Amino acid sequence: MVPRAEIAHWLAGSALLLLGLILLSEVIVGREVFRRRRWRAYLWPSLALAGGVLLWVVAIFSTFSTMHLFAHAIWAQAAMIAAAVQLAVVRGKLSSPLWSLVTSGALLISGAAFLVHEQNAWLFSRSAFLHHVIGWTCIVAAFFPLAQALQPRRAAWSVGFALTFVALAVLLYADRDVAPIFGHLSDVAGGR
Amino acid sequence: MKRVGLLAAALAALVLPATANAHVVLSSAYPDTQSRLPTAPTEVRLGFSQSVTAGPSAIQVLAAGGRLLSGDVRVSDDGLVVSVPVSGLRRGDAYTIRWRVTGPDGHSPAGVYNFGIGVKPPPPTEAVGAGATTWKDDVARWLLFAALALVIGPLAVRLLVLRGPVPERLERRFHVVTTVAAFAVIDVGVAAFVVRASNALQLPLADLLFGDLTPFAQKTRFGVAFLVMTVGFAIVTALLMLAWTFDRLDLRWPAFALAALLVSGLSLSSHQGTEPGSSVVSELADWIHLLAACVWVGGVATLALLVWPAAPELRRRAFVGFSRLAVAVVGVLVLAGVYLALVRLPELSDLWETGYGNVLLLKLAIVAIALVWGGVHHTFVRPRLEAGGQPRVRASLVGESAVAVGVLLAAAVLTNVAPPPAPPASTPAAQSGR
Repeated sequence: MVPRAEIAHWLAGSALLLLGLILLSEVIVGREVFRRRRWRAYLWPSLALAGGVLLWVVAIFSTFSTMHLFAHAIWAQAAMIAAAVQLAVVRGKLSSPLWSLVTSGALLISGAAFLVHEQNAWLFSRSAFLHHVIGWTCIVAAFFPLAQALQPRRAAWSVGFALTFVALAVLLYADRDVAPIFGHLSDVAGGR
Repeated sequence: MKRVGLLAAALAALVLPATANAHVVLSSAYPDTQSRLPTAPTEVRLGFSQSVTAGPSAIQVLAAGGRLLSGDVRVSDDGLVVSVPVSGLRRGDAYTIRWRVTGPDGHSPAGVYNFGIGVKPPPPTEAVGAGATTWKDDVARWLLFAALALVIGPLAVRLLVLRGPVPERLERRFHVVTTVAAFAVIDVGVAAFVVRASNALQLPLADLLFGDLTPFAQKTRFGVAFLVMTVGFAIVTALLMLAWTFDRLDLRWPAFALAALLVSGLSLSSHQGTEPGSSVVSELADWIHLLAACVWVGGVATLALLVWPAAPELRRRAFVGFSRLAVAVVGVLVLAGVYLALVRLPELSDLWETGYGNVLLLKLAIVAIALVWGGVHHTFVRPRLEAGGQPRVRASLVGESAVAVGVLLAAAVLTNVAPPPAPPASTPAAQSGR
C-alpha cells in the first residue's frame, strides 16, 4: 500500500523537528558544552543522512508523476550530500568554511524543487500554499549556513538555521491531502 | 547588472508559477491497473484526485492491432470521475487503456495500462501503441553499466587486491570515484526507468513530466528492480560516505556485498529473467556474468585512472594482484556468457540470421579484442613488473578500459534487442510422431 502523502509528510516533519531541536539545543547551551560529548556533534548530520536515505523510499512511492519522482529524488540527494559533508566537517576531514556552501546549495536546490513541482497558485489548497511557503523558507534559509561560516560566533545565524527546521516541521505537520487554506479551497480541488 | 537581472528573472519564475500545472493523479480505476477480470466490462471508469476536463477520446480502450473499442467519454458533475462505454471485448484477450485528462490549469496527466479478461495481461511496456526501445534506452543502460562498474571495480581492487593501508591520495580517489558512481547508479537508474516508461506512454517531453509511472514501477520486473536498486544504492552510497568520514574500511565490505547483490536486479528484469526459456539458472548466470564484467571493466579502469597516477609505489602490487583476479573473473565471465548464448540462441545460424545474434557477434568481437589485450598484459607486462621492471603501460591500460567500455555498450544494446523466439516445445503428440 502506498502511504497517503500527508502521512509521509508528517513523518518527514517529525524528522525535521528532531533535527531542529538538536540544533536549537546546541545554540542554547553553547557549542563547547553541547560537544563536550563528542557523539552529540554527529547527531544532526547523521539524522540528515538517514533522512536522505529514507527520502529515496518516499521517492520510489512518488511515481504517480514523473515530476514528483524527480522532485523527491532531488531532495533525497541534496540531504545526503549536505549531511555527508557536514559529517566530514565535524569529523575534521574537511576544514574549509567554504564547505558550508554545500548546505546552502542543498537548501537552495531543495527550495527551487519545491516551487517548481508545486505550480498551483498559493491559495489553490492548503498543500499548495504549504509547498510555496516551504520552498521559499528553504531558499531564504540558504543564507544561514553561509552567514554561519562568515560569522561563526554570531548566534543569530545558528538560531535561524535551527528554527528553519522547526518551521519546516510545523509546515509539514499542517499538511492535509485536500484541505482549505484560510477558508479557501479551489473548486477544482474539491472545494465548494 | 545583467547578473542581477537574470537573478531577478529566475526568482520571478519561481514566484509566479501560479496557474501552471496541477497535481491531478489517478486515484481509482476500473478495470484496475494490470488486472485480470473474470468477465468483460461494459464501462471503463477512472477516478481522479482533482476535478478534470476530458475530451471525447480522453479514455481509449484498444484491442491488439489498435482497434478502438470505446465510445465517447462522460465526465461526472464534480469532474472527479471520467468514464467511457466499451463493447466488443472478448474473454481470453487483453486490452490497453490509454487515458489523458486535463487538470485545472491546463496540464495533462496521462497514463497507460493493460487488463485481461480471463487472461493475465501483458506488462504495460507492451501496451497497444507502445514504441520499441530506442537509442536513449541503449545509452541509459550503457551509462548504468558503466556506473555499476565504477562502484564495484574499485571496491573489488581496494578490498581484494590492495588490502591494508594505501596512500591518502589514492584512498581519497577511491572514495570519490565510488561515491560519485553510486549516486550515478541511482540517477541513471531513474533516467533509464523514465525513458523505458516513456516508450509506452508515447508523450511529448513536457507532458511526460505528468505521466503516471506507477504501472511501470509496480507491475513490471524492471520497475520493481528499479525500486529496489534505488533504495539499495542509497544505502550503498551512505555506507561509502560513512566509510570515508570515519576511516572505516570495513564499512566498504557491506557496501561491496550489497552493490554486488543489487546487480541481480538487472538480471532478474533482463531477457534471462523474462523471456520464455528463462530459469533460475539463467538468471543466476546472467547475474554472475554482469558482476564479473563489472569487476573486470571497473578493475582495469581503477588501475589506469586511480592507481597509476595516484600511487606509483603500488603499481606492481596492484597490477600483479589484479592480473590474478582477472584470470578467474574473465574465466567466469566467459563461461556464463557462453551458457547464456546457448540459452538464447538455440541454433548456430541465429548468430547471423537474427538482430540479437548480430549484436552478440559484435559484442564477442569487442570482447575478443579486450581479452587479447588483457592477455598481452598478463603474459608480457606482468612478468616484467614481477621482475622489478617499470614498463610504461598506463596508456595501454586506458586503451583496454576503453575497449571494455565498448563491451558494455554492446551489452547495453543487446539487452534492448529481443532475442529470437524459442523453438516450440515438443509435445507428446509430436514426440510420438502423430
